[in-house]
Amino acid sequence: MSHRELGLEGALADLAAALEFPPTPDLAAAVTARLGEAPAAAPAPPSPAARARRWLAGLAGWRRLAAAGLAVVLLAAAVLVASPGTREAVARRLGLRGIGVELGGPPPPTVTTTPGGRLELGLGDWVTLEEARRRVAWPVLVPATAGLGQPDAVYVNEAVPSGGRVDLVYRARPGLPPSPFTDVGLLITEFQGQPTPEFLKKVTVMGVVEQVTVGGEPGYWFSGEPHFFTYRDAAGTLREEQTRLAGNTLIWQRGDLTLRLEGELPKEEAIRIAESMR
Amino acid sequence: MGETESVEGRPLDEQELVEQARGGDARAYAVLVRRYQDLAFRTAFVIAGGSADAEDAAQEGFVKAWYALPRFRAGSPFRPWLLAIVANEARNRRRSGRRRDDLALRVAEDRPSGDAAPSPEAAALAGEQRKLLLDAVGRLGENDRQVIACRYFLELSEAEMAAALGCRPGTVKSRLSRALDRLRAAMAEPGPLAAAPDARQGGDR
Repeated sequence: MSHRELGLEGALADLAAALEFPPTPDLAAAVTARLGEAPAAAPAPPSPAARARRWLAGLAGWRRLAAAGLAVVLLAAAVLVASPGTREAVARRLGLRGIGVELGGPPPPTVTTTPGGRLELGLGDWVTLEEARRRVAWPVLVPATAGLGQPDAVYVNEAVPSGGRVDLVYRARPGLPPSPFTDVGLLITEFQGQPTPEFLKKVTVMGVVEQVTVGGEPGYWFSGEPHFFTYRDAAGTLREEQTRLAGNTLIWQRGDLTLRLEGELPKEEAIRIAESMR
Repeated sequence: MGETESVEGRPLDEQELVEQARGGDARAYAVLVRRYQDLAFRTAFVIAGGSADAEDAAQEGFVKAWYALPRFRAGSPFRPWLLAIVANEARNRRRSGRRRDDLALRVAEDRPSGDAAPSPEAAALAGEQRKLLLDAVGRLGENDRQVIACRYFLELSEAEMAAALGCRPGTVKSRLSRALDRLRAAMAEPGPLAAAPDARQGGDR
């Protein structure tokens, strides 16, 4: 190490001693309170999942899991979608009521290729469909469209939002084109919660979202430029999110569930898959 | 940071606490949270760039770590594992596109200068110069800024840095060295620094 480097490092150490971080909030209380929200011990996930989660060491298993992993990250961002270039959409987040969508803003961040940016625990646990169904109180719906088959990966997060969330990941296959960034063909998210009237209004005004009917219930079809969107979290805080996944997005309701479907699919096909869910 | 905290009056080391938490003991886990909340919050702050996001990320990270404990490899170090989870939460929030004050740290104005015999370089860097240096760090690209903050401001180990930055442990040193090079350049030429650190550091995977 050079003299100059030692000098710079010494200066950084000196600076560090004079730095003031914002005060650390009392996380222990908040965290402890949240541990009670969900069932005690989480069952061990299937072993491929465990492997996938070790993201630092997970490079070997990465290729195989890339599709699901990227989806994980995108969702882990707690949100949803926006898209590159021509189409795309937006949605909402984690079962929290209230979403707004705005057009414009800076382009979405590039999807990172560092391992830490991809596989992680954010989406929830990688489980079997049966396991997911055991872990949430509401019925998990799965498309019954001919040829689609079973999801390639299922994630459950029973703690956030309240009521839990389940994600189904389908790899690209005939009839399900891959997104430009991953080989995920279809991503379906289910949670309890409803968009607010505020959200609906914004969407309508902007004209980038089309109101549709899915199985007799209201839905929204998003396509167009990348979006910003805002949502209100459980604490009532208005938050702004922006992220992307290629493809279009359909958001619709089924009873007290909100469902979201993302993929490079035409509207009619998306609605067909949505309506087949049971 | 709470090193003397105990459960049932007995001081516990990290491994014991982790083991108890793995067994579902929320009290033991609360001790761990208190012990590492400063570290988690500050790491999240460095990565997310704002204290509200940092608080969210740290809290979410601790909750997720609790549910992930059954997958924690017994006997392995807890801090890097925790930091990996918290840092990912922080990154996810950072990606949200919200404007933020990057590394909006403050330099204490009147730090008692009781330190005896600092190095000549450090001694020269009082007040204004600390600000200049912090400023230069702030002008670096995101990756450079984070690796420097992790090493010098958070004093993380290499394994912890790798966990927090989401890169392989083997690449931490070279990343840091490149960041220092660019910091040196930034100090030499005040003003906007050439950007695109992300592209440059894409070889870390």
